[in-house]
Amino acid sequence: MAYKVDQEYDYLFKIVLIGDSGVGKSNILSRFTRNEFCLESKSTIGVEFATRTLQVEGKTVKAQIWDTAGQERYRAITSAYYRGAVGALLVYDITKRQTFDNVQRWLRELRDHADSNIVIMLAGNKADLNHLRSLPAEDAQILAEKEGLSFLETSALEAFNIEKAFQAILLDIYHIISRKALAAQEGASSNGLPHGTTINVSNLSAIRNKATCCTAN
Amino acid sequence: MEKKRIDDYEPGPVPSPRPLDRFGFVKQELNNSPDGLSKGRPASEYEREERRVRKWRKMIGVGGSDWKHYVRRKPHVVKRRIRKGIPDCLRGLVWQLISGSRDLLLMNPGVYEQLVIYETSASELDIIRDISRTFPSHVFFQQRHGPGQRSLYNVLKAYSVFDRDVGYVQGMGFLAGLLLLYMSEEDAFWLLVALLKGAVHAPMEGLYLVGLPLVQQYLFQFDHLMREHLPKLGEHFSQEMINPSMYASQWFITVFSYSFPFHLALRIWDVFLNEGVKIVFKVGLALLKYCVDDLVSKRLEELKQEYEEKNEKPVQSAEFKEKQKL
Repeated sequence: MAYKVDQEYDYLFKIVLIGDSGVGKSNILSRFTRNEFCLESKSTIGVEFATRTLQVEGKTVKAQIWDTAGQERYRAITSAYYRGAVGALLVYDITKRQTFDNVQRWLRELRDHADSNIVIMLAGNKADLNHLRSLPAEDAQILAEKEGLSFLETSALEAFNIEKAFQAILLDIYHIISRKALAAQEGASSNGLPHGTTINVSNLSAIRNKATCCTAN
Repeated sequence: MEKKRIDDYEPGPVPSPRPLDRFGFVKQELNNSPDGLSKGRPASEYEREERRVRKWRKMIGVGGSDWKHYVRRKPHVVKRRIRKGIPDCLRGLVWQLISGSRDLLLMNPGVYEQLVIYETSASELDIIRDISRTFPSHVFFQQRHGPGQRSLYNVLKAYSVFDRDVGYVQGMGFLAGLLLLYMSEEDAFWLLVALLKGAVHAPMEGLYLVGLPLVQQYLFQFDHLMREHLPKLGEHFSQEMINPSMYASQWFITVFSYSFPFHLALRIWDVFLNEGVKIVFKVGLALLKYCVDDLVSKRLEELKQEYEEKNEKPVQSAEFKEKQKL
């Protein structure tokens, strides 16, 4: 293994949780990082974050997830957190059409403030409230295809697809980064090296170093 | 709770399904009363409390009639006594006196009723969405559409009409909620007005206006103060790329009412209403100073954990006060 001994992970990925207020962002976060769901949760003021370390294709990846207040007025402080993010989970509530209609506005926010290569997953949360559904999954699927996003319906309450959603984001990010590393490597040496564990350290160090990977700019 | 159900068969008030602390919050398991607030207080403490209440009553006069006179004559005594903590049974009244909201109420009869009953607000849905997410573990606000939730809605809606530039912003609910635990709807509304419009101290409305300008200003100032008073920590935070917006926005936006141990939040509010926002800076700095040795040795993730523990598990009051003397 190529990573340093004192470091307990290979990669650190910063991910932002965005979407309208009340769609369940904080509970998605607590379900994913602590396997907890709180019916009596408070609205998020400002930003919160939590982390979880997991395996992606044999690599140890630390996901650092930033949960932001959903109300529009808070974007004045929350948009700063898009910087350096390599993934975004854009959440809406399947029982509230308005939260889906606002997805476009959130995408614009990401385009304005985040890295252009950011991996975005659209998540239709509260799938357990199917009887209150105001939006068919197909509509979201169509939008996701049009905008080039992944899409899943999730339920933080029932722990449905939460793990899968984050796994998918992390895997996508990992693929993009390894492809980049590979491309850089191929560019560096004209004779095509066999793919595998030999990695150009000088190129990859930028990604591997926890400080530069996710928070620095 | 199980043990206390000896008189099971006796008719009486329906017992609360979950044990509450003395402020009405559902008790967290394991989080037993911080400094002996809910049970087992020695008799001497009760007596001291009684004496203090008597002193305070004398100072205030009936319904607050002597207050202004007393403040003019002995401002230093008032300040000192408030810093020691306003007796809980007089808190609501004193808060109204020191914030200037009592005067606003008297000058504007009928206005609140007008705002609640006749006006509509563009923020109504936003407010409703957050009602059950404001102090969800307090008994007063737990019942869906119960009196607590209704009052909270009314106060926030009235404010959003009264000041359409501010409207409703998340966080305001915690201010209103805290006030409603100590006073009527109308009184809480005018205290909110006094704070946001600056009846006595600098207006707070900038914390909630578009762009949150005052939040940005306070965070900037806090960052500089922190670097001045705690340079080692400032350096460490720089290295870890931690800035105050990650931990202190809530402190300013809700004046510590969002996730701080409630009995301490009340003490902060006593002083905050009397002395203004500088107390938020002071408490914030004191908190950092209190755990500076721990903080400088930790990385971002650990720091976050530390922060959450510090916010939920209260600091011992005496020790904390000591550190507060920055």
